[in-house]
Amino acid sequence: METLAIALLAFFAAGWFVLAGADIGTGMLTPWLGRGDRERRLVLASFAPFFLGNEVWLVATAGVLVGCFPALEGELLSGQAPVLVALLTGWIVRDTGLWSRGRGPGPRWRAGCDAAVTSGSWTVALSWGWLLAALLTGRPDAPATGVTAVLTALAVAALFAAHGLGFATLRLTGLPYERARKLVGRAGRPWQSFALTGVLLGGLPLGAGTTLPLAEKAASPATLALLVPALLVVTPLLVAVQAWTWHAFRHRVTRPSYL
Amino acid sequence: MNQDVLDLARLQFALTAGGHFLFVALTLGLVTIVAALQTRATISGKPQDARMVRFWGQLYVINYAVGIVTGLVMEFQFGMAWSGLTHEAGNILGASLAVETIVAFFVESTFLGLWIFGWHRLNRWAHLAAIWIVALTAYVSAYWILVSNGFLNHPVGYSSENGELVLDDPVAVLTNPSALLAFGHVLAGALLTAGFFMAGVSAYHLFRRSPEWDFFGRSLRIGVFVSAPALMAAAVFGGIQFATLTTFQPMKSAVFSGKAAEIARLQAELSAEFGPGDYVPSEAWTRGGGLVMLIGFALMMYLCFAGVILACFKTVVFRFRFWHLVLMAAVPLPYLAMIGGWVFRESGRQPWVVYGLLKTEDAVSDLSPGTMRLSLTVFTTVFALLALLNAWLLARHARRGPVESGLGHDERPGRDDQKPDGSGRGDGSGEGHGPKPNGSDQGDGPPPSDPADALPAPRY
Repeated sequence: METLAIALLAFFAAGWFVLAGADIGTGMLTPWLGRGDRERRLVLASFAPFFLGNEVWLVATAGVLVGCFPALEGELLSGQAPVLVALLTGWIVRDTGLWSRGRGPGPRWRAGCDAAVTSGSWTVALSWGWLLAALLTGRPDAPATGVTAVLTALAVAALFAAHGLGFATLRLTGLPYERARKLVGRAGRPWQSFALTGVLLGGLPLGAGTTLPLAEKAASPATLALLVPALLVVTPLLVAVQAWTWHAFRHRVTRPSYL
Repeated sequence: MNQDVLDLARLQFALTAGGHFLFVALTLGLVTIVAALQTRATISGKPQDARMVRFWGQLYVINYAVGIVTGLVMEFQFGMAWSGLTHEAGNILGASLAVETIVAFFVESTFLGLWIFGWHRLNRWAHLAAIWIVALTAYVSAYWILVSNGFLNHPVGYSSENGELVLDDPVAVLTNPSALLAFGHVLAGALLTAGFFMAGVSAYHLFRRSPEWDFFGRSLRIGVFVSAPALMAAAVFGGIQFATLTTFQPMKSAVFSGKAAEIARLQAELSAEFGPGDYVPSEAWTRGGGLVMLIGFALMMYLCFAGVILACFKTVVFRFRFWHLVLMAAVPLPYLAMIGGWVFRESGRQPWVVYGLLKTEDAVSDLSPGTMRLSLTVFTTVFALLALLNAWLLARHARRGPVESGLGHDERPGRDDQKPDGSGRGDGSGEGHGPKPNGSDQGDGPPPSDPADALPAPRY
């Protein structure tokens, strides 16, 4: 049961990095890909139908963590509290910018929301780098400090941005597409770059997870015996529904969406 | 354990959970009404019905977005500030939170995305199914959260092993009366909040003699006719919960009634059972919260009773402007009652976080006061700004009335108001396109920046 619980945690964590990594990366690059109000709206439309479904992978990761590894969840989250404050703030700012962009008045409001999306996306990516620095160096009980933390944060953020860029070349059209294509370079096909960054991003949480004492800190057998099978039954349905969403909005975006 | 950290962590939890709860109340009620409206629109195929879905759906989505982002903080806060809770009671509490995120919230978010962005793309029946799934999973979500909360208030179905609680009887946890009754109470309260909101917004437009009188007359009636039974249901569930307190949490009910002798007796009893300590919750918060809730209930009962009668007469619905003013002023009442009831429930069970098993002071994380202060400052500021933003955006879109832009706007080429890009793309540019019952009297002049400005000025 512990092994299955760890597999579930790994699945949702890797899923978040691969899926939400794309929309966070694109959000980070919005000012470079879209130069005007309308172009930026198009860039946001490239991930608009997906970001809500993507971000819940992290909520689900936290859910599996608290359900299957409650004691570890408490230690990890309280140990990393400052990092999580930054992560959550970035997440909130980014989402608020996305949701509010089309609802307020005037171009200045929309420019402000774009700034919120970009800065929020960067904060989320950098905070994840900061968090991963602590996990990968095997010190999950305190936020990472020093050069390692800064370098890991920057490297992880760069990976998010590269993933977002790959996503943008697959989704966009027009001038924003041209800009993204130029940045990716003409060497390979767009999907190759996206697949590479996806594999790297998906590997990050798996690597970090191996340093955590997951098996020793699992919930009691009675809880796992109920929870893990229930989650295992539901997960394929969730994946199927999300796959349907990706299928329904599979075409490249040519016009703005609700956001 | 540091007293500062405990106080700050409690303050943070109270403010963030209270804030989140208020957004959720409107979301949960409004999604039910929107789903019902969309069912009617899908069956009838009338444009007026579809416009109602889009207008109320727009307000729902604005409010939902703030509800989600505040919920994120809740999700992580248990582990950040209350690691003692996940350590001691995680085997039960963690499981219900896990099921909530994956079975309910995950599905809800995915289908909400489909609903918002799938307008005019999905088959209309699939689109209708999407909103119903969103509504049902929102209920499931509320249920699982209240299973967690019910366990904190009235722990059942557990046994103790090596100082840790383990799950013993899952059925008892899932059918905990403290969870089920609260679930019914919260659902009814949410519908009540949405009913008052709908009636208040509609009353504003009718008061201003909006040309959309038909639209808002019908909306006002829906709001009034939803809130009356919802209030009754909330009162029934609340009354039963109140009665269970004498056995579940006798101290809460003694403090609320101000029975000094009973309080002293229970204090002595609890001290004998759990060791010396202060087992009396704050009287100000417990009684204050309870009284705010009861006064709110009394006021709403008069309004609902009168409202149901008044709403039966068409002339009254359109012309009784004093009633319109009262309905507008009454929009905050359900919020006050909800927050009062929540303060009563949560502060009245102190000093326990898991009643009779774990004290609040033993559950708080071992954080430095600096970290806790930073976290409190950041989240309180963010939540206050979000609340203001939500109120402003809701007011803005409610005031504007049904327009053709925004949620459900058909973006396909040739179907919409494709204009040369000006300043107002997606910002009121749909003025004058919708069916207007009274015809548009604005001529060919430049469209006003905010369609609400074009409404006739109020006459006093």
